[in-house]
Amino acid sequence: MNLIWVSILFPLVAAVVIAVGPSKSARWVAFFGTLVSLGALTIFAWNFPAWHNAQHFPSDVGPSWIKDAGTTLSVGFDTVSLLLALLTAFLMPLCILGSFSAITERTKEYYAWFLVLGSSIILAFAARDAILFYIGYEFTLVPMTLIIAIYGGSERRVAATKMFLYTFLGSMFMLAALLYLGWEHRLVSGAWDFDIDTLTKTAIRLPSAIQYWLFAALMVGFAVKIPLFPLHTWLPLAHDQAPTAGSVILASAMLKLGTYGNYRFALPMAPAGGAELMSLVAVLAIIAIIYASLICWVQTDAKKLIAYSSVAHLGLCMLGLFALNPVGAEGAVFYMVNHGLSTGALFLCIGMFYERYHTKDTDVLGGLAKRMPVWSSFMVLFTLSSIGLPGLNGFVGEFLCLGGTFISEHDGLTGYPGVLGPWYAVVAGLGLIFAAMYLLILLGKIVWGVYREPPHISSSTSHGGEATRLPRDLCLREIVILTPLAVACVWLGLQPKPMLDAIAPCAEKMLANYPKEIERHMSHTSAAPLASNDQEPVNELRSE
Amino acid sequence: MTAAGSIPQAVIAPELAWVGLAILLPLLSAILCALCAALRVKSKLPALITTVALAGSCFVIVKAYFAYSGPVEVPIFQWITFEWGDGKFQSFTADCALYIDSLTLYWMLFVTGLGTLITIYASEYMEEDCGKGYSRFFFGMSIFLFSMGALVMGDNLVMLYLGWEGVGLASYLLVGYYYERPSAVEAAKKAFIMNRIGDLGLALGIFMLWCNYGTLQYGELFAAMKDGGQTSVDWDLSVIPFLLMIGAFGKSAQIPLFTWLPDAMEGPTPVSALIHAATMVTAGVFLIARMYPFFELHPQALATVAWVGGSTALVAATIGMAQYDFKRVFAYSTISQLGYMFLGLGVGTTFGACYHTLTHAFFKALLFLTAGAIMHGFAGQLDLRKLSGLRQMPGWRIVSWTMLVGCLWLSAFPYTAAFFSKDAILFKALTSERGDFRFLGWVGLATAGLTAYYTFRVWFRICAGPVHYEAGPESHDQSHDQSHDQSHDKGKPDPTPEGESHGAFHPHAPRWAINGVLVILAIGAVVVGFPAYGHVFAHKENWVQAMMASSSAYQGACLESDHGTGAAVHTQTVLGLDPHTGLTIVGSTASIGGILIAWYFHLYSRKSADQLRAALLRRWWIRWVPICMENRWYVDEIYLACFRLPMWIGAQILNFGDRHFLDGVLVDGLAKFPIAVGKVFRPLYSGALQSYAITMTGGVALVLAWVTWIWLRGFN
Repeated sequence: MNLIWVSILFPLVAAVVIAVGPSKSARWVAFFGTLVSLGALTIFAWNFPAWHNAQHFPSDVGPSWIKDAGTTLSVGFDTVSLLLALLTAFLMPLCILGSFSAITERTKEYYAWFLVLGSSIILAFAARDAILFYIGYEFTLVPMTLIIAIYGGSERRVAATKMFLYTFLGSMFMLAALLYLGWEHRLVSGAWDFDIDTLTKTAIRLPSAIQYWLFAALMVGFAVKIPLFPLHTWLPLAHDQAPTAGSVILASAMLKLGTYGNYRFALPMAPAGGAELMSLVAVLAIIAIIYASLICWVQTDAKKLIAYSSVAHLGLCMLGLFALNPVGAEGAVFYMVNHGLSTGALFLCIGMFYERYHTKDTDVLGGLAKRMPVWSSFMVLFTLSSIGLPGLNGFVGEFLCLGGTFISEHDGLTGYPGVLGPWYAVVAGLGLIFAAMYLLILLGKIVWGVYREPPHISSSTSHGGEATRLPRDLCLREIVILTPLAVACVWLGLQPKPMLDAIAPCAEKMLANYPKEIERHMSHTSAAPLASNDQEPVNELRSE
Repeated sequence: MTAAGSIPQAVIAPELAWVGLAILLPLLSAILCALCAALRVKSKLPALITTVALAGSCFVIVKAYFAYSGPVEVPIFQWITFEWGDGKFQSFTADCALYIDSLTLYWMLFVTGLGTLITIYASEYMEEDCGKGYSRFFFGMSIFLFSMGALVMGDNLVMLYLGWEGVGLASYLLVGYYYERPSAVEAAKKAFIMNRIGDLGLALGIFMLWCNYGTLQYGELFAAMKDGGQTSVDWDLSVIPFLLMIGAFGKSAQIPLFTWLPDAMEGPTPVSALIHAATMVTAGVFLIARMYPFFELHPQALATVAWVGGSTALVAATIGMAQYDFKRVFAYSTISQLGYMFLGLGVGTTFGACYHTLTHAFFKALLFLTAGAIMHGFAGQLDLRKLSGLRQMPGWRIVSWTMLVGCLWLSAFPYTAAFFSKDAILFKALTSERGDFRFLGWVGLATAGLTAYYTFRVWFRICAGPVHYEAGPESHDQSHDQSHDQSHDKGKPDPTPEGESHGAFHPHAPRWAINGVLVILAIGAVVVGFPAYGHVFAHKENWVQAMMASSSAYQGACLESDHGTGAAVHTQTVLGLDPHTGLTIVGSTASIGGILIAWYFHLYSRKSADQLRAALLRRWWIRWVPICMENRWYVDEIYLACFRLPMWIGAQILNFGDRHFLDGVLVDGLAKFPIAVGKVFRPLYSGALQSYAITMTGGVALVLAWVTWIWLRGFN
């Protein structure tokens, strides 16, 4: 437990040091802070005893925080949240390194807020208390808003405001649902308690109608964060305006809070609601895939393209999750990590050429393969990972999500009946073709082809500041940033087994109540048409 | 390895793990080539590494062939594998493991063999790029061989899918090798995307198989197949062959997914030879042969394959007749020959299809490599009207004569290897009980005539006739000129008078690596005829038939034993003759007739070819034929109009709608709501005490009214 707190608090301490210290050393303090956080989590994961069961570790209740409200400072991980926290902690030092040349003004504030951002995301993943989770979840917005609003592009104010208000509004629903559950628990047991496991136990005893609304409220909150169609419009703007490292953390870690929320709260707490709304969410996810993919196709802004592709990819992730069988759920969790790696890496790659050319417009810039061969090799690798090429990490999650969707109707034999089935997989599968289209078009424009550079580049070099100091191709620091990501992409693609094994028990635990609920739901809905069929002949007889 | 009534049960043999080297060596070579690229190696080291690795891989396969005694499964490591229960449908297993049966070995033998030869050829062909893209090229080749190995040797369909997409990646990287050419980038993208459409079909087929049989391992699938599947998804068992078929059509460039293959000729020629002619494009044939038993799940599945194959053969041949770029002619001939293979699979002879795959691999690789040598020597010249009489130019004799071998084989000249392999397919079609298959057989025969014509159109134009040449578009390329100087020392041809118009241009003839490989391939093309010669002249068992008979494709092996007893066979006749004799006569006539027509139009009287074209174009009722053929039946344009354009317009509308309606009107509109509410009530906060008093009074009155109302309602 101490290691978890170290990984959360040490960056905060580092942030304080940065705030009072000299601005020259800020970036190295920040880098050190994130490295310690990653180190602490890695040691924790190394000794993690619960890799092969779905238990939380540590499982003991933490110190009481607001006694009357029943909130505690309990932190602990199960494998899924540990993997996601590790992903965050892994990306943080890379993002700090990536900001060295990109952020040249107000550096102290930047690094301090960035560390706060990382801490609050890890806190949200680590929290075993619903209120603590909410604090981590919501507090990510503050540093992120500031990072976008201070260090972003030309429309940064609008983007930051929209992101803050939109996601904040969404999470109000979630907070209401969580408070309602706490109150419900107080009615049953006489005391407030916000322990997530306790709340889950309370929630699944609630009647179906209440679970339905509970699920809907939680879902709205998380759907904004994922973001699920049609609640996604804040994301492209935020990504477009955010500085590179901000985009990386936004896409790779913050969006995962939404899918993680589904895994941790919405699905296990309200199985009756989940069973009923499963096909609706699946339809929205499929619309997200096709809709965002088509928009990607006509994007000329590289960053917006990747932002919309996140919407499509997370749509597939949600589809896998809502297939509500182990294949889909495993795939979805795997996909969360994969998407974090490959999309984060793509944003970093785009940031690297942005620093050199000050444009993200694929119409004016292109053919970088000859000028930046090292960068191009990385870009091609990460794009292929994002396309879902077998042998790289993207494939495993994608294939399992799609497979889970396909077999979702396979009643009884898998032990997990569902209502999605092959047609859902066919339509979602079109997303794979579209993904190849828009990502290869992106590659075709910026990596391949004849070298094109924006007209203003020659003038900007004359008075340009930091950017001109970058070499033409990647410098060692940038190679150091991308190499761990590349290794992770290849390694997870070839050896997904350990991670799949770790996810399996958690996926099963999340789905524990679903076979029963879905069967009840299906018998309920199939009974209705049967009943009407029975009535019709009667009517006919009467009319005769 | 003789007649078999069923697929032999595979034995688990972990001790055969060394066969995995056949996949591992190319992978190692890919890693080393990537290192070479990172270290900016300027020598030919990457070629050496790749050649050694592929030769090693070939050696491993040969060794495995001699050690082979029955199907084996070789577990290597667990890949995407997990379980959530003990039941049949409660685990998902896709391990990295090998399934080695005679079909695997058959395929790997020619894949690794040709791979090695073509790498040697490429070491010379690509030498101008030393230190530039050389390492990248051989990286792609190694990745290709690795993926092809995984595709063929994998023990489950997910491994096959890994290889399937992996060869697509290799094709993408290598077609787009000259990445500064927009057409190459476009072609690479198109190849990958069209393949992806097929891949989706394959993926759905894989899911469907899992839904029905609960496993994806070949051995278990074939066993489960006998018990019949249990399905409870909406879809019927019988969609499986159709889904797999889509994948095969995409990879093997069949109608409707064939348009990517001609464009893929933008890649360096060794790539076209290895990937887009000899090996990768036959993966579809492999898939169907491997999953052959499942194609019986629907009575019309194989018939669909036959029809698609037959029509692709014809359509591609008609396009090939009217192209002037000889590499494209060969590309269309590849599509057409693949069509024959699918026709063979469809009418029920996996033997014919797989034998044709083998012979085609050799003669088509040979043809492409000769085409590459010519293109290379004449600075990228690909127009068959601008080259002539190569046969008589010193240094080009080996190229010309080996090309003649390739052309004879492609046109199925009597008693060449391809004659027998094509014969096996057409024989089965013409002796079928089904009328439509017999019709397809005749289509195939007609296509054979067209094939002979367009093949020899190329040879008579380029290699025969008076000496004349023009340099291609790359003649002013600097790097090209440098390599010229190098090759000047080796016996250069005298600049012939016909070449004067291009003063400084000297074609450079190929050296030993290219010539040597061409000769070996020509010998190989002869050698692959031996199984058929042995069968025809010595009544020995055909080796290919034996290989098929002990694999999953046994049902189409067409063994003598089945053949003799099959009463249906001899009830059919070809032109009133015994089908064997009749087919030999008709086939030979078609082939020789095609060659003669080509001889007349393209050697004897080259003017008359243009006159014929002009004559056709003058007559309105026939004009469409040459126009459509020259424009590839407008298939690309139709796809553009029917799919890409509407989708692109839809995407633009969605993009606009997303920004201006969903975000602009709905989200921002909602966000304006609180501001608007605030505006309405703002006058109330005027700062004047009286207005506050009035508001307060109003508020109190409202509250009182509400309380009173509740109170009254409570009384009722």
